[in-house]
Amino acid sequence: MPRQALEETLTADSVAADAALAASGDGTAFERLYRAHVARIHSLVRRMLDADEADDLTQDVFVRAWQKLSTFRGESAFGTWLHRLAVNVVLARRKTLGVERGRYHTGEDVLDGVSGRRETPEMTVDFEEAIGRLPDGARQVFVLHDVAGYRHEEIARLLGVVPGTSKSQLHHARMALRRYLDK
Amino acid sequence: MNDQWTDRLSEYADGELAAAERTALEAHLSTCADCRATLEELRQVVARAQALEDREPASDLWPGVAQRIRRGRIADRPVRPDRRRFSFTVPQLAAASIALALISGGGVWLALQPRQPVDGGRGVATPAVWTGRTDAAIAELQDALSRNESRLDTSTVRVVRENLALMNVAIAQARAALAADPGNAYLNLHLADTMRRKLELLRRVNAIAAAQS
Repeated sequence: MPRQALEETLTADSVAADAALAASGDGTAFERLYRAHVARIHSLVRRMLDADEADDLTQDVFVRAWQKLSTFRGESAFGTWLHRLAVNVVLARRKTLGVERGRYHTGEDVLDGVSGRRETPEMTVDFEEAIGRLPDGARQVFVLHDVAGYRHEEIARLLGVVPGTSKSQLHHARMALRRYLDK
Repeated sequence: MNDQWTDRLSEYADGELAAAERTALEAHLSTCADCRATLEELRQVVARAQALEDREPASDLWPGVAQRIRRGRIADRPVRPDRRRFSFTVPQLAAASIALALISGGGVWLALQPRQPVDGGRGVATPAVWTGRTDAAIAELQDALSRNESRLDTSTVRVVRENLALMNVAIAQARAALAADPGNAYLNLHLADTMRRKLELLRRVNAIAAAQS
């Protein structure tokens, strides 16, 4: 077996073993899982909600993961299971925040109100920040589809919309973000 | 720019248009430089999104997570409903601890400490519900070791085999004791700890073997 493949196998084995150990009550194994996945989860939360919510929500995700570990059956990778759990935590948080107003915008001017004139994107706004300034619906769809790799049908189910809405929101988000490609 | 087609460019880029629409849009693209340019930009946005790098939080969030887990471990953790006080028979205690003592000088001491968590005292450990997934992980690591043993010198292989044999005895005895008292929280923790030791040994040896290649 090539060395890289062996190392990847060992890493996957290690995560699977830690998940099993954590499910049986091993806090040290759970901390290793936290260390291995916190950057991905924190980044997801930061992109889907605001940065000042990210720390608290990330902690919520890992506490929920600990509570629900016994339901993790190993049918998917632990990272995939954790990511889906994080998405559900974020979406539940959105509901409690009442993020409904201005949820779905159309047109590629969705960032114009916050970034200056359309032809001159604000120089200090980088691509990540521009994602954060998208209208809520477009932002969720863009992060889930283009960053996290979810399909429209799944996004529609999660957000309670039809797949066509997910597709149109994705298009508007992409059109808006074209101006931030170099940031 | 033709808005009728512009609005379909993302679906086209994602390969989600029906054949007839795709053909029509491609015909339009062959004559519309604006739409071709927009399509290229949309593809760049997708590539940029996929290339975003994950960042660690600015501060370590683990202490807060551990504290919340500790605080809520009784109320929140889905454990067996019949959690009992620390109690098992002398033969069970011996079965769980004797072989562990061969591996670690702390084994007997650990066995005699009621409700001592396996996480170094942070207290997040709870009675175990053994799932068997670690068995599968161990089996895979042992397969990997069998394939890679030839890369290790014979003395290393001998020591590894001796230690694995001791651990297997400890695991078998702990499981036998658990079969008689499956709800015994501390025996579960003994088993988890021994499995962890075995996993770590296998990981370490496989890593050494990989480094030899």
